[in-house]
Formats: sequence, C-alpha cells, structure tokens
Amino acid sequence: MATAQTSVNTAVPKRRLSERKRDNLFAYLFISPFFVIFGIFGLYPILFTIYLSFFKWDALNPMKYIGLQNYQFVLEDSIFWTSFSNTLLISVMGTIPQLIMALLIAIFLNSAFTKFKQTFRVLFFMPNITSIVAVTLVFSAIYSNNGMGNWLLDVFGLDAVAWNSGWWGVKIAIATMIMWRWTGYNMVIYLSGLQSIPTDLYEAARIDGAGRLQQMVHITLPLLKPFIIFTVMMSTIGSLQLFTEPYVFLGQSGTSSLRSEGITMVNYLYSEAFSNSFFGTAAATAVILLVFTIIFSMINMWASNKLGGDTEG
Amino acid sequence: MSKMKKSLMLLVAAIMVFTLAACSSSSNSGTNNEKGTNNSSTTTSKEGGSNNASGESVELSFWTLGNTNYEDLANQYMKDNPNVVIKIQNTGDQTAHHNNLTTALSAGSGAPDIFQLEIGFMERFLAAQDSFYNLNELGATDVKANFLDWKWAQASSVDGSFQIGLPTDIAPTVAYYRTDLLEKAGLPTDPAEFSALIDTWDKFATVAKQFTDTTGIPFVDSRDLIYNAVRDQAQGQIYFDKETGEFIGNTNPQVKKAYDFTIKGIQEGWVANFALWAADWTQATNDGGFAVLPGPAWMLGNVKSNGPDTSGLWRMAQLPEGSGNWGGSFLSIPKQAKHSEEAYAFIEWMTAQEQQLQTFTVSGLMPSTFALFEAPEFNEFTDEFLGGQASAAEFAKAAERVAPIYYGPLHDQTDSYIKEAIQNVQEKNADPQAEWDTAIEKIENLIKRS
Repeated sequence: MATAQTSVNTAVPKRRLSERKRDNLFAYLFISPFFVIFGIFGLYPILFTIYLSFFKWDALNPMKYIGLQNYQFVLEDSIFWTSFSNTLLISVMGTIPQLIMALLIAIFLNSAFTKFKQTFRVLFFMPNITSIVAVTLVFSAIYSNNGMGNWLLDVFGLDAVAWNSGWWGVKIAIATMIMWRWTGYNMVIYLSGLQSIPTDLYEAARIDGAGRLQQMVHITLPLLKPFIIFTVMMSTIGSLQLFTEPYVFLGQSGTSSLRSEGITMVNYLYSEAFSNSFFGTAAATAVILLVFTIIFSMINMWASNKLGGDTEG
Repeated sequence: MSKMKKSLMLLVAAIMVFTLAACSSSSNSGTNNEKGTNNSSTTTSKEGGSNNASGESVELSFWTLGNTNYEDLANQYMKDNPNVVIKIQNTGDQTAHHNNLTTALSAGSGAPDIFQLEIGFMERFLAAQDSFYNLNELGATDVKANFLDWKWAQASSVDGSFQIGLPTDIAPTVAYYRTDLLEKAGLPTDPAEFSALIDTWDKFATVAKQFTDTTGIPFVDSRDLIYNAVRDQAQGQIYFDKETGEFIGNTNPQVKKAYDFTIKGIQEGWVANFALWAADWTQATNDGGFAVLPGPAWMLGNVKSNGPDTSGLWRMAQLPEGSGNWGGSFLSIPKQAKHSEEAYAFIEWMTAQEQQLQTFTVSGLMPSTFALFEAPEFNEFTDEFLGGQASAAEFAKAAERVAPIYYGPLHDQTDSYIKEAIQNVQEKNADPQAEWDTAIEKIENLIKRS
C-alpha cells in the first residue's frame, strides 16, 4: 500500500500531462478502425490510381512509365467522349421525369383520401431493393427485337424500334430501367418531406381561399426545396456512376462489347481495365471521372447555396 | 479502477488494430505458426521440424470453374495418394474466376497451386510467362503426344518452348438442326446426307435461301453464331499475326469471308434477327424460330434447356469446310505454387485418358485425348435428345477437323467491334462497307493503346 501511494504521489505532476495525452491517445485509438480501413480500402487505392495513370500496365507484367500519354489516349478517343455524352444524356432522361413522377406519387400517397398507404409505400419502394441484374434481364426481354416493347408498338400500329442498337432506343431502354428502380426511393424521401410540412399552413391557405394548385405552388414546393435539392444531388452523382444497367443490357451478346449507343464513362473504364487489360488508361479515365464528379458536385453546391439563400431571404 | 478500465479499453483497441493488421498477412503463415507451437508444446521442436521438411503431407489448392466432376476425381486421387490433400475452390463466374487469379498474381500472393484456365482468357496469362511454371520443364513433353495438336498449341507460346497448361476438355463446333423444319422444306434430315448437302459455305447459303423462301422461317439462329462458325475456320490466325502480333483482320481473307457471308445471310433474310442469349432467341429455340444453330459441343446443353419440348427433333451435322473450337480449359501451375512437382503429378493424372473419360460420362465434357475417340464407351454414346444419334462420335469427327489458331490478347475486343458492325447492318439497315470501315478504325484506335 505504502509503496503504491508513494508512487502515485511522485507521479502526480507528470500524470496531469500524460493523462491528457492518454485521453487523446484513447480518442485516436477509438476512431482508428475507420482510418485504418479507409486508408487501406479508400485512400491507398485512390493514390495508387493516380500513380498508375502515368504508367502502362497489364496487371501481370512490369509497369512502364509513359508520362501523360494515357490521358492523351483517353481524351483523344472518340469513344470516351461518346461515353461522356451518353452518361449525361441518360442521366437527364432518367432523372428528370423520375423526380417529377416521384413527387406526384408522394403527393398522392400523402393525400387524406388514399387508402392502403402502407401497402403502396412498400410496393413503390420494392424496385429499389431488387437485384439490378435481375431487373435488367427482365427489361432486356421487354426490349429485345421480338420482345414485348416492339409487340406493344405493333399493336398501336407503330414501327418496331431497335432497342439494342438504336441511338435513342438504347438510351430510352436504360433510362426507363433507372426510372423504375429509383422512383420509389425518391418518393419515400419526398413523402417524409411532405409529412414534415405543418398542416396549419394549408388550413390558413384554405381560409384565405387558395386552391389546390396554389397550395402546391406556394406552400408544398418551397418547403420541399431542401428535399428536392438533396434528391437532385444524389441522382446526379449516382448517374455519373451508372454501370450495371448498360453493362448487363448491352453485354448480353456473349462478347465484352459495349455498344457506343449506351456505353457510360464507368463502362468505358471497366472495359479498358478488365477486358483490354489497359490498366493505365483505365486509371487515367478514373482520374478524369473524379475531376468531372468534383465539377458537377461544385455546380450542385453552388446552385443549392443560391436556392437555400432564396428561402431564407 | 478507472485506470484499470482504461488499460482494458486500450487492450481492446490494440487487439482491434492488430487483428486488422493480421488480415493482410497470409493465412498460410498463421497455420504454420500454430502447427509449430503445437508441436513444440507436445513433442520436441526437432521432430516438428523434421515433419515439415520431409513433406509427408502436401496440401494443394485447386481453383476450378463451372460444373465438372473434379471434386470426385480429386477425392479418388487423395485416396490413392494419402500424403496429398487437395483443397478445391469452385467458381461459377468465368470473369471473376480469372480476375481473381490476375489479382493474386499481381499482388504476389494468394494464387492457388493449380488453376483451371479457360481458353477465352488464355492470351492474358500466356503473356505473363514469368508468373507460371513452364510445364515442359516439369515433364509435359512426355505426354504431349496424347493430346490433339491444336488443343496443345492453344496453351503453348508461338515457338512451342513454353507450355502454360495441360489440356482438359475441348469444344469443337458443329451444326445443330431441327429435322421437323427441314422436312417442311423437303430437305434431307439424315445427318450424313444433310452434312453432304451443306459441305461448302456456298452450298450452305443456297440451301439456306431455298429453305427460307419455301418456309418463311430463318435458316440460321443468329448473326453472331454464323459469323463465329466461318471466322473460326481461319488458317492459323484471325485478327492478329501469330509471328508479329500485328493487326491483320482487315486483310485476312477468312475474316472478310465471314463478314460478307453473314451480311449476305442478313440481306437474303435467312439469318434470324435475334441477339445471341436474348430471351427471344431462347424462346425461338423451343418454338421453331430457326432451323440451324451452329455451335460448340457445350451449346447442346443450352439447346436442351432452351427447347424442352423439342427433344428428339434435333440432330447434329458437320459444319461446311471444317470446324472451329469455342471453349475448353487447361490446368496450369502458377509460380506462387509451393509444391510444383506434386501439383504437376496431379494434373498429369487429371488430364490422362481414364480421368477424361470419367469427366465425359459424368459431366459431358469432350475429352482432349484423341485415343479415347476409338474407345467404345465413348464412341457408342448416344443422345436421346438428338434422336439417338451417336453424338460423341460426331463431336470427335468435328474435333479432328479443327486447325490450331492464334488469337492475340485483343481478340475479344476486336471481335466485338466487328459484331457491332454486323448488328448495325441487320438492325439499322446500315451500309456494310461503311460499317466495316468504322469497325476497322475503332480497332486501330484500340491497338494504338496496347
């Protein structure tokens, strides 16, 4: 006991400092799992990708430094720019109608007259948790040359569309898959937004004689603004990473082909790396994709800041 | 008290960090360490050491692909060789299977002792000879004569000095056809007669046109399969020169022949407008949407599952002018393997005639040892789906007509640009010559990057 006490006494002046240090150490230790995992699976691959983009490498033989040549190859490749414009077009075609539809469904589900709300909510959300590959295969059957899509067009006396090779056909097919999958997800977000709007605002508006449309334009939409901004941002980032739908839909022909009508930037990257074994140009594509994502996120942030300022003022 | 708690938490945190770090070290060394400590605690450490050195028990890891009977064969081998333990890891997805090996090889650890290498991915690994054992140095030259020449050559370097794998199964191409539909057009349905009727591609085209004109049904199932059938009969090389590796697809007469032949079929209406593997193609197999399906041996499995109501209506004939090969595997030994001698002994046994016969009877994979083609168990094999036709003998006949071909690392991507051109002609009525030029331009752009 006595020895223990003396040791404590002598340690007192030292301990104060070391206790703080030790606290810090504990704090770092407790958050370290995240940083260790992030370092191994997040940061290291990112840095290595940037490093790799200056080399020619097939993953098996030694790497060869070639400077900026990979970037030159990618930026001069017309297929890359096709994949860039495809990504933008498909994302616009898939996102805008989808968000409008999600909003309409959310308003419908939020109205007092709708029965079986829970069931509908579950049903609309189901597509989002269904396997993308399975969904794409079902859609491929609809959009095959002699499939349901062309049969339906024929019933209405319209010409068959080349869904697998037409410039618009492929894009419409992929855009509908995105719409089908994400409408329910955005609907749930809008629904929670709608439920957060206090009902007394509507009551006051009704007393003042506002119609349904006026209530929607002057109360619902302005108060939903943060939710709409959120969904637009998430959809933009998501659609820049579009991969599975075009990959499965167009890659079914048994070859590694990704037709130019539907190839997206991530598809381009993937085929560079894993079917051509050009890991250098694939890494360069990844870096370019990173730059594009940063630019789009900045535009989004700037726009949402501006809009956010409006509601306050 | 709080100090106790804190040091306990510190310990927990430290354990968490170290377990994470341990993930990166290989599991092999972990088990070795365990063994070592166990040994030293029960017996003397010397004994433990001598156990390891004598190599009494050898563990071989074996990555297999798809449906095979290799588990059964491995069990049989382990019974005969009690000192060998074979651990099989099976993957269904081809691309994932080969990408896993690429990752393991470039990471420097994690590759198996034995790897089942599919021909479609051969070029990628053949270009990385440093990562594999040269089987010629382990004794493969002694068994070379047992295998079909073209199959052996697929896994050799161009000069033949390096051998990456021992041949397992093969997949020669034939023409599957519907007897009921041929009857409608008044064509012979007997395999020998039908084979004779279409023994050149010109005759094939004439018969096809005649069939479609009388019945209104397309003769061939899809543009991709008819293109492959003609393309794979190329002499020695398709898109890339086997000596220099240069692109020759734009001057190779067989490639142009395959392209023009497919376009002719599309324009004359006897090539059906189905995308290979699409749902409507599957359906048409059952519904009689086409009469002929040119495909490799394994395609029979697809025909059977796609056309459950058509059993007995199909037969197979020889393709005009020769045969091609599409698919089949090899067993190879990555340089990371610790027991190359034992692994080689195992794969030599696996690819021997007796074991290939078992694989054929159990899993239906065509053997690559041609001596089996004379064996009665093989030769007299008949298939009820093909109306009792002696299918194995027919496949063997096709296998003997295959010529060895060099593909080159960019074969698949090059091929898909040509297929895209053909699709544009069929689905969008595009100009064949303009599409051909665009495809060649894309291919040349691709090659610039390699």
